[in-house]
Order: sequence, then structure tokens, then C-alpha cells
Amino acid sequence: MIKKIILIVSIIVNVLLGIALLLNTVGAIQELKFQYVEEETITPDSMRKYLEWENYGVVASQSHPIRGGAEIKEEYMDYYKLGEYADLLFLKEVFDKAGNESTLADCNNRLAEIRESMPEYAVIFDKMDISKENAIKR
Amino acid sequence: MKCYSCGGEVNLTDKVCPFCGRPLTETTGYRADEAKYANRSEKTKSKVGGIISDNIPIVISVAIMIVLIIALSIASYVKNNAYTFKGDAKRKEAVNMYDSYSAEIQSYLDAGDYTGFAAFKEYHNIAEWEEPYDDLNTLWMIAEEYVSLVSTVEASTMFGPEAEIYRPEQDVDDCYFAINDFYREFEYDLEDIEEDPYKEYIYDMKDKAGIILEVYLGLDEKRLEEYLASSDAKKKAYLEEVLLND
Repeated sequence: MIKKIILIVSIIVNVLLGIALLLNTVGAIQELKFQYVEEETITPDSMRKYLEWENYGVVASQSHPIRGGAEIKEEYMDYYKLGEYADLLFLKEVFDKAGNESTLADCNNRLAEIRESMPEYAVIFDKMDISKENAIKR
Repeated sequence: MKCYSCGGEVNLTDKVCPFCGRPLTETTGYRADEAKYANRSEKTKSKVGGIISDNIPIVISVAIMIVLIIALSIASYVKNNAYTFKGDAKRKEAVNMYDSYSAEIQSYLDAGDYTGFAAFKEYHNIAEWEEPYDDLNTLWMIAEEYVSLVSTVEASTMFGPEAEIYRPEQDVDDCYFAINDFYREFEYDLEDIEEDPYKEYIYDMKDKAGIILEVYLGLDEKRLEEYLASSDAKKKAYLEEVLLND
């Protein structure tokens, strides 16, 4: 009788361990496959929020990974490109004053490229332009 | 024992002497014992066999449990350390890609794009504290503060026409710390900077930090000098004046 109870309990424990193992294995595989910049949702969510608040400088600072060659998931790409636009607007003044002519030219080209590729965000780009002008006037 | 007839060495269970052929009556008792013990042994074997066969399911179940516990521990360890494993793998990849990554880094530096350099370095998990990238060590320390300065100033100054600014006082504090940290790090590393292979880029970074402060916070060369020499209260008062009085 005791043996039967031990056997039944051990089988139940094994089933639970099997389920836990399965879940952990799936979790481990997902963790190993997870690409931070490409897949994390906190930054894009935050960027969306700051875009709504028109805090373009924050969006700019959060978009830095894209300028380091990070691969961005397609659905978040717009946020990063909007941030990149604001970031380059900010840095453009610095490159200009520092006399980095070729970097400034690259910067202008990239700004034009981003604007052209996302015509639906023209209003936001205009507001970003204004935000930079206001930032300079301080 | 020895055969009483010929004196030859015989076994305790021999029926006849192997040397003289005499029947060995004196070993009868031993032979009987042997049969008895053999019989008992068979019984014991069969009893043990019964016990084992009765417990095989439990033994197998426990063995499976041990295997599951080990596998679960490994899976949990991998899950909890996946970020480290991936980071290590990326760092090794960065070492293997040294030639192309170095060229890329150089192009960022030549362009004066230090935030781009920092983003590239971070994304590719380039370890500046070990070979072959250890020559970037001092440059990286300054670049980290530079990126922080750029991020803070842009976050504190670039607002749209209908912006909602929730914590402007925080912007003042952030700028205060970012400026302090950049120039403190620069002063702290000055000896290393002078001997650093990337010295010219580090000084260029300092110049650019100065431009950012001039363009966006109104700290031209003279004002910046005064600002850096002033007390903490005066520094904060200046930043409040610039950032809060729109």
C-alpha cells in the first residue's frame, strides 16, 4: 500500500516536474532568441508616449541604437526613425559649428531621406524642426 | 582436507578421492550443507528478485525524477543567464570581427559622431576593457559621459510647440549632473588622455560638448568657464533660468 502511494506521488511529482521543465525550456529558448533592441517593447512604448507629449529630445535620445547599426523590428521602425530625425537635428548644429562639413552633409542627406520616406509624419517633422529652433533660442 | 586412505588433498564436497578412488564418507555432512545452502541461496535470490521487481516502478520513477530535476535546473540556469550567454557570444563575435568593427569605429570617430560610435560599440557589445579593443578604454569612458550629456541636453531642450513637460525641475538636475559628470570625468582621466592614441578625438569630444552647451544652454566659452568655477547653487540657478523660464 505504502509502495503504491509512493509510486503515485512520485508519478505526480514527475508530471509536475515535466510541465515545469517544458515551460522552462520554452522560456529559455525564447530568452536565447530574444534580441533586446529588436524586440523589447518598453522603448517603443516610451517613444510613442513622448511623441504624444512632444518631448522630442527624449525620443531622440532613446533612438540612439539605430545610429549604431541596431536592427529594429519593422513595427517599431517609425518611432526609431522619428527619434533619429530629432537626434540628427540636434547634432546637426554641433557638426555645423564644429566644422565637420562632410558629417554635416551626411546629416542633412539623412534628414531629407527620413522625411521623404515618411511623408505621413510631416506634421511631426515640422514640430521637431520648431522644437530645435526653440531649443537654440534659449 | 586429506584422504584418510592415500593422504591426497580432497575438497570438502568431493564424493570420492580423486587420487585413490575411496568413497569419502567424512564429507557427507559438508555436501548436505552445500545442498541446504544452495537451496537457501535460491530462495534468497528469488525473494530479492521479487522485492526488486516489486520496486522497479518506484526505482524508475525516482530515476526519472532525478533526471527531470537535473534537466529543470539546467533549463532554469540557461533561462536566467540567457542575457549573459548572448552578451558573451556577441563579445566573442566582436573580437572575431575586429578588423571590420575597428574600421567602422574609425569612420564614426573621423566623422566626429561620438554618439554613433557609442551606439555602435554598445550594440555590438565591444569590450573596451579587454584585448583587442582595450585601446578604446579611455575614449569610451569620456564617450559614455558625452552621450549622457547629449541625451540629457536634447531631452531637456527639444520640446514641440504644444509639449507637455511634466518634470522640468528634473531636467535642471539632469543637466547639472550630466555637465558635472562630463567635465569631472575629463579632469579625472586627464593623464590617461594625454597618452591615449585617441587623444585628438577625446579633445574633439570636449569641444563638441562645449558647442552643445553653448548652442542649447547659452554657455559660451567664457560663461562655461564661469559656470564650471561657480558653486553648485549658482550652477543650478543658471540652469533653472535657462530651462524653466521659457
